[in-house]
Amino acid sequence: MEEKEKRGENLNFASFKVTRRGFLKGIGTGAISTAVTGIPVLVPSEAEGARIVKGVREAMVRLNVNGVDYRLKVKSHWTLLDVLRKKLGFTGTKKFCDRGSCGACTVIMEGKAIYACSRLAIEADNKKIVTVEGLADGENPHPIQQAFMENDGFQCGYCTPGFIMATKAILDKNPHPDEAEIKEGLAGNICRCSAYPKIIQSVLALAKR
Amino acid sequence: MEQKFNVVGKRLPKVDAWERVSGKARYASDVYLPGMLYGKILRSPYPHARIINIDISKAKALPGVKAIITPKDTPTFRWHKDMPILTDVARFQGDDIAAVVAVDEERAAEAIELIKVEYEVLPFVLDPEEAMKPEAPKIHPEGNIIGGKPQVLKRGDIEKGFQEAEVILENTYRTSLLQHVTSEPRVCVAYWEGGRLTIWDSTQYTFGVQSGVAKALKLPMSKVRVICEFMGGGFGDKTTSERYNVLAAFLSMKTGRPVRIEFDRAENFLAAHHRYPTVWYLKYGAKKDGTLVAIYAKVIADMGGYAHFAGAGGNLETIKSVYRCPNLMAEGFSVYTNKPEGGFMRCVGHPQAQYPQEVHMDMLAERLGMDPVEFRLKNFARLEDGDQDRKFPFTSNGLEDCIKRGAELFRWQEKWRRPGSSPGPLKRGVGMAIHACRHGAMTEPSSGMVRVNADGTVNVLTGTSDIGGGQKRTMAIIAAEELGVPVDAVYVTAADTEVTTDTGGTTGSRQTMTGGTGVRLAAADAKRQILKIAAQELKTEPDKLEIKNSIVYPIGADKGIPLVDVLKKAPATIVGRGIGRVPKNKVIHSFAAHFVEVEVDVTTGQVRILRLVAAHDVGRAINLQSLENQIEGGAIQGMGFGLLEEQLFDGKTGLCLNPNVLDYKLMTIKDVPEIKPLIVESNDPYGPFGAKGVGEPPYSVPAPAIANAIYNATGVRFNKIPISVRAILEGLKTKKG
Repeated sequence: MEEKEKRGENLNFASFKVTRRGFLKGIGTGAISTAVTGIPVLVPSEAEGARIVKGVREAMVRLNVNGVDYRLKVKSHWTLLDVLRKKLGFTGTKKFCDRGSCGACTVIMEGKAIYACSRLAIEADNKKIVTVEGLADGENPHPIQQAFMENDGFQCGYCTPGFIMATKAILDKNPHPDEAEIKEGLAGNICRCSAYPKIIQSVLALAKR
Repeated sequence: MEQKFNVVGKRLPKVDAWERVSGKARYASDVYLPGMLYGKILRSPYPHARIINIDISKAKALPGVKAIITPKDTPTFRWHKDMPILTDVARFQGDDIAAVVAVDEERAAEAIELIKVEYEVLPFVLDPEEAMKPEAPKIHPEGNIIGGKPQVLKRGDIEKGFQEAEVILENTYRTSLLQHVTSEPRVCVAYWEGGRLTIWDSTQYTFGVQSGVAKALKLPMSKVRVICEFMGGGFGDKTTSERYNVLAAFLSMKTGRPVRIEFDRAENFLAAHHRYPTVWYLKYGAKKDGTLVAIYAKVIADMGGYAHFAGAGGNLETIKSVYRCPNLMAEGFSVYTNKPEGGFMRCVGHPQAQYPQEVHMDMLAERLGMDPVEFRLKNFARLEDGDQDRKFPFTSNGLEDCIKRGAELFRWQEKWRRPGSSPGPLKRGVGMAIHACRHGAMTEPSSGMVRVNADGTVNVLTGTSDIGGGQKRTMAIIAAEELGVPVDAVYVTAADTEVTTDTGGTTGSRQTMTGGTGVRLAAADAKRQILKIAAQELKTEPDKLEIKNSIVYPIGADKGIPLVDVLKKAPATIVGRGIGRVPKNKVIHSFAAHFVEVEVDVTTGQVRILRLVAAHDVGRAINLQSLENQIEGGAIQGMGFGLLEEQLFDGKTGLCLNPNVLDYKLMTIKDVPEIKPLIVESNDPYGPFGAKGVGEPPYSVPAPAIANAIYNATGVRFNKIPISVRAILEGLKTKKG
């Protein structure tokens, strides 16, 4: 074996996966400026003088979450999911795969179900977002939540907010879906406990109302 | 005698359903504390390497970085015997080398990148059979065979058994490396405050984390509190304390601030546990009438870089307990390779064993010219068989019912046809498999506490983590049934080491029987105290009284005194305590039989599962709704084990190829067939109201049933799972060729 091969470079475990920050490092500033077009304020980082990644900017955004306006400063590479969870405290929206493959972070943005991990917070500027916390009327469950409770449409419950939001998106368009349509509409959500039969039962109960 | 129950056996929602559907439930991953720091672990990029030098100077200079630790900071921590907390020899891609804590996640990640590690890359070995050879790279100083020799089971005279056999069948099998893919990753927040440590962890066993962290950091257990209010799946990955718990706690003690460590998804694929792969050789002998007379099994269990436990022993358990057989020999090698650490996944090792055993039995039935169901019915282990080596009987056994009633519901007789006889490109076939295992049994510690408040409401305090099976509801039902109060009067506090008692982990399908027995005995203890007071009031004997719907009655009478009035006479709050003991010289097992119909598209290699009948002996259904949910969910995961799931490693680099939820294939809602759970109630004399556990058994049975059904459809045997599309196409080609 050659010496170069034998002595490991300063390879990092993280080199084997694409990180958002790493990705941004690669694409540089230009793309980001494009992405933030329309955002009113761009400010440099003030965060403890850390060496920030080239290309990262901060911006003021206005997010309307569950009917309430939030104005806050976000970094341009922060996902909507991280901002909802960490900055605004909407921890009902869950992080499972963080790469748009599982649906646990499904929220409704401007009437459409989206994966919050696959949208940047700056993309959600001036948008209306509904999270699982926005469904119930105080302690009175939303009919979808009621149906999931009555039919045991979950086990550990971690993917459940995502399933509930995806169900809302289905029913908003089609109040009486059949089983095939329900499966199609929920195919982008993974339930590792595999409570699928009871989830189908929950949504069918709503469809038959 | 048919027992009458007030609450047991109903269909009830989970007690914390509202929290879970509203987003209010606080999982460990939802714990964000003021002033919290973020920890990150530097992981090996190589499957096998010696760390020559770690230079942290640049990382340390990064503003916002609060502490960095390397192997030299942690040598005195006590841990698993072969696994350091931080290692200077990486034994798998993802092995823990150093840890950083910083003001936010990005700063922590940046610091990790700035740590300069000099590695000496070592040769690695991935294949367990290669690892057993003398020339293989040594992963630990004592060699790659864990314990230096195989674990061996012997019963009767194996040579005589094969001499008596009129039909002998030999074959080899393989199972793959699977990930739990818990939706909530490994995550904890540790806070050292005022000389006490609190850890919010996503764990199946808070008491295991408490004792593990206390030992590693030399803290008294009284000063370590572990809480798991909600957890997003475990499936065996979160069974005890892990390195990240100790690292988070240590870093919090070092910085005086709360420290959060959360694995990202790739880390969770590599640095968490997984279902270890196995290689099998089976040789079974039977008489012409179908009687099994000899079982020989050899398994090589690929445990990865560290021996969380010697997995082969777990694999061999079902080989010895599902069938009645006088002559048996089984050898199990547990072997180190440079893969991640093998562990428990929805059973210790039974799924890996039941796939080969049940396919082998299917082949043997065909060789004997017997129907697969008849062949099982002839040989399954009966009530009296139990532990066939020590001659202890089972406490209950509903396997015969599972097989017979399952076959009837499935319409097996009508559906079964000669293998490979299905015409056309869409070939249909049916298959079945059975299962028996000690999971679902009672273990120690089994304990519980029940407090009856002055207003007649009840608090149950139990160590069980509600993993999603509705364990809290189960405990509420058991307490309500025993105490004679409405189930809504019961509130359950679970999995907090400060206020509950140890009931073992929510592992091994044990909580219904183990935690449940503790709670039932605690409720009975509280009831005794209540009835003693009531007896004085009513001038009678306590054993002549009963409680129904929160009213204390003389047995058979229709007038009584309200429970609240009795409680007014109590000198203090009634506290009941229960400790369950495992019965001696008895074997508690759960049983199952699955029947499945598949459709194989021979032009595309796609397998569609059409329907599954899942018959399970659960002793007694405590909550029908969550019981069905667990059977269905376990069976669907088991289908993934048979058809889809495999974590792949590149032979040239030793690196994982699919550490993400897209390339690692999981069952989706579209793959789900019609599933009919069939509940068999054998009323176990030791279970609470007769109940046994059911968490793991549904997982073990679908994969072999599907493999047998695919054979029935196509006439081709597949000796490795998952049976992928490619395997099907290649198998069909070979058959034609």
